[in-house]
Amino acid sequence: MSEHHAHGTEPSSIELLPIELLPIDTAQASLDFVDEWRNAAYNCYSSGHKFCREVCPVMQVTRNETWTPTAFHANVVAMDKGELDIADIAEDYVNCTQCGACELRCPNTLMLGDFYRFRTRTVDLVKAVRTLAVDTGIHQPQWKTWNELTDARSHEPVLGEQPVGQDSVREWADGLDIPIGGDDILFVDCEAAFYRTSVPRAVAQILQMAGHEFGLMQEQWCCGGPAAEMGYRDQAMRFARHNLDNWKASGAKRILVLDPHDYISFTEDYPKYFGAEFDLEIVLVLEVVAEYIRSGALTPRVAIEKTITYHDPCRLNKRKGVWKEPREILRSIPGLTFNDVDHVTQWSYCSGGGGGLAIEKPELTALISGARIKKASELSVDTLVSACPWSERPLSAAGEPENIDVVDIHEMLAESLGITVGGSRGAR
Amino acid sequence: MTAVLEASIVEQLVAAIAPVLGEANVLTSKTARYSRARVPAPFPVHRWAERVPDLVVLPGSTEEVAHVVRVANEFGVPIVPRDGGTGLTDGAVPERRGIVVDVKRMNLIHEIDLENRTATVGVGISMLKLNEVLAQHGLIYPDNPASYPCSLLGGRIGTSGWSLIGSRYGHSRDLVLSFDMVTPTGDIIFVGDGGGRKISKSSSGYQLKHLFMGHQGTLGIATTATLKLYPKAEAEFSAFWAFDDYDVAYKAVGALARAGIATFAGAVLFDEKKVEYLRRDDEAYIPQPESVKALVCSVGYGNSDEVAAGGRRMMRIARDLGARYMGDEISQGDWASRHDRYATPVHGRTLSGQVALMSWHCEDAAINYTDLPAVTREWHAIVEKLRRKHDVFDDWGMFAYTSSDTGVDYLTEIDIGIWEEKLDDTTWAAFVDAKREIAAVSLKYGGSISACHGSCREGEVDLVPQELGGGYDVMLAVKRALDPNNIMNPGKYGLDRAYDNEGDRR
Repeated sequence: MSEHHAHGTEPSSIELLPIELLPIDTAQASLDFVDEWRNAAYNCYSSGHKFCREVCPVMQVTRNETWTPTAFHANVVAMDKGELDIADIAEDYVNCTQCGACELRCPNTLMLGDFYRFRTRTVDLVKAVRTLAVDTGIHQPQWKTWNELTDARSHEPVLGEQPVGQDSVREWADGLDIPIGGDDILFVDCEAAFYRTSVPRAVAQILQMAGHEFGLMQEQWCCGGPAAEMGYRDQAMRFARHNLDNWKASGAKRILVLDPHDYISFTEDYPKYFGAEFDLEIVLVLEVVAEYIRSGALTPRVAIEKTITYHDPCRLNKRKGVWKEPREILRSIPGLTFNDVDHVTQWSYCSGGGGGLAIEKPELTALISGARIKKASELSVDTLVSACPWSERPLSAAGEPENIDVVDIHEMLAESLGITVGGSRGAR
Repeated sequence: MTAVLEASIVEQLVAAIAPVLGEANVLTSKTARYSRARVPAPFPVHRWAERVPDLVVLPGSTEEVAHVVRVANEFGVPIVPRDGGTGLTDGAVPERRGIVVDVKRMNLIHEIDLENRTATVGVGISMLKLNEVLAQHGLIYPDNPASYPCSLLGGRIGTSGWSLIGSRYGHSRDLVLSFDMVTPTGDIIFVGDGGGRKISKSSSGYQLKHLFMGHQGTLGIATTATLKLYPKAEAEFSAFWAFDDYDVAYKAVGALARAGIATFAGAVLFDEKKVEYLRRDDEAYIPQPESVKALVCSVGYGNSDEVAAGGRRMMRIARDLGARYMGDEISQGDWASRHDRYATPVHGRTLSGQVALMSWHCEDAAINYTDLPAVTREWHAIVEKLRRKHDVFDDWGMFAYTSSDTGVDYLTEIDIGIWEEKLDDTTWAAFVDAKREIAAVSLKYGGSISACHGSCREGEVDLVPQELGGGYDVMLAVKRALDPNNIMNPGKYGLDRAYDNEGDRR
């Protein structure tokens, strides 16, 4: 069987109890969850279009209808009718990268937004199911370990056995002479801070070249976003609280973000956690840099003789609508042959690195990143440029046998600006 | 209601199938089974559990499908093929539980033959994904149902699907040249025009292709198919026209369809109720003057010069009949979003006008041009009676689409909103009665119960023997001969009648 029950849950042969006979906390939490999601679930269930299916990165490689946005919504209807419970469904919701493609391709989103201010929110639903699972004691083994280690170290264990922690979170910046504190704080996600350190080094030096003053946090913790994505909401909120307090204490006004996942956390999760208290401006570095190029503050002059295509990171393109600026930046770099693929076509592309999938099911991530690299390979490129550190590790692994190099857009821009970036592009 | 299989039998089935398909491709979890009990056609939610299969398998090859079918015969367990699961006549619904054979993994492109213009593919492929690849060669597989973004080739074969641009390129039966299939006893056969895989017309032997398309999974499971390809059209022409009354719009659609324009790919007539429905929420139609009572859309595909000439002729025909062209934005936009926009749950309204999340259901038929107005009137009357009696139904209007390039017959559909969440046994029974009445009207006017979906759902299925007459007896004989154990998708099309102990089987 491929679909074993989640760690610590009852096997499926146990007769299902009506919701009201379940232990009170699980029952109440399940009822609250169904109440919150009933309308959205019926809106999908009633539509029945399934247009989401062929853009879903997981569906594309597994062809398993159990793991589709349609099934994810229908399960809520089944819970509402007492046919399924959280123990039945929890493990299925691992199979989602939270890329958001299904939401965009949903006719209910496409056709109802104007009149009903409605859009399909599969990503939020997946997060809600994962949260309900964790809250009721259902854990996926790898996620549980990952979040325990994150909690213990204040950073995600992106280097495996090799420890990460507060004492090394700023090592990437060695020699760059970046102050602590200031109006603008550069926030560096765990993957970039410890694994692909060339990305934050490139970002910092580009900003320095443009004369943009910024500092680092006094004590930076993980943004908490991955914990939230995997259902560990309380932990995510604790981490967010720490970071917010730290920013406030240092008088920060703006947070510069280089990682699309952090951008989601700070623009979507934090405002929900803190409401009006969260009054900081969140700025995507890519957009700032594009503006510096437009204004002439930065001019890439070193020719890079490569044939590239650009990977639209899901959280920028599909979830935030940011796709113009990366192309603007790449088109400003001399020497490049840019075989671009339209950002709408890329709704169905994904690296497989998001939503915790790479932690719990690395084999699926590998299939998804392999499929993405194959698309690049068909364009006869030697380099795939991304703008998301979390995509770059799985894409690099998939690109190696195809002789496709995976480069971060900031790394490439820095090179064209004549900057010697330094740092590591991760274990190769 | 069929009882759930005993756990020990499920275990034996798993033990017999998993060594060949791999454990990962044999699913027994509740969610795997519940998610394959459904298709988009509305059904009372409280009866969901009645049709949940005992087991789901995901074969990866023709041989694996054959193995599963042989195991099912050995154990006497029903088997139900499922591909996209987007059909509207329950073909993929496991009415007697058993084993769902989900063929979505079989989605490889085995060959693209650029010289003969064919593609050989696994039936789990989506036309949209196939066309993404074919576009690199300037080719297209032009089977374009309303479900184009999600339906899969196997379902197109199993239902003998209908295409929105079929008046130009033909429908699934014309575009699928041949296929491998697994018979209900687990044999692997080849079906095509004669014996060649890439032959479009043969006179050798019985013409089996039509028999093995549109059987709703009752005669076997197609696995690999060879398809006819066309040059990807250089140009598309789409025009929407508004009319002050249905009768003039009806005349216009007929004139367009009969005009013999080579690039003509289809015309659609929207009736008054459909326009009223679109006005509820649709930004393209809300600003239209109240005088607009019907719409016609007509499209053309092909080489640029030919499409331009054909388009000019279509514009002239419509204008001469008093049509008002609705402009490029609506014309191009509506046609471009033809798969997305016409059935959204929140368009549902109760009698008092309250928004209710309603599921879309489409009753279809093949109707001759001359009978469209009468059928339209009678169908609306049936649905009006239904919704007056039970305030969980809504009339979402009618479309009539050309099925061919001569305008002889039309896929005629009435869209019914159904508040599925509220559907109880009483309202379901009333709906089934209405479906039967709708089918009866189609037959009264010399039409066919379905042009597109199939006719094996409750209600209309009762009239299939009447529609087919002696042909239905041949259906029974064929079913009995090919599926001696009544294994393959039992319960559909009333085919239990083919067996001695009707009702005792499965």
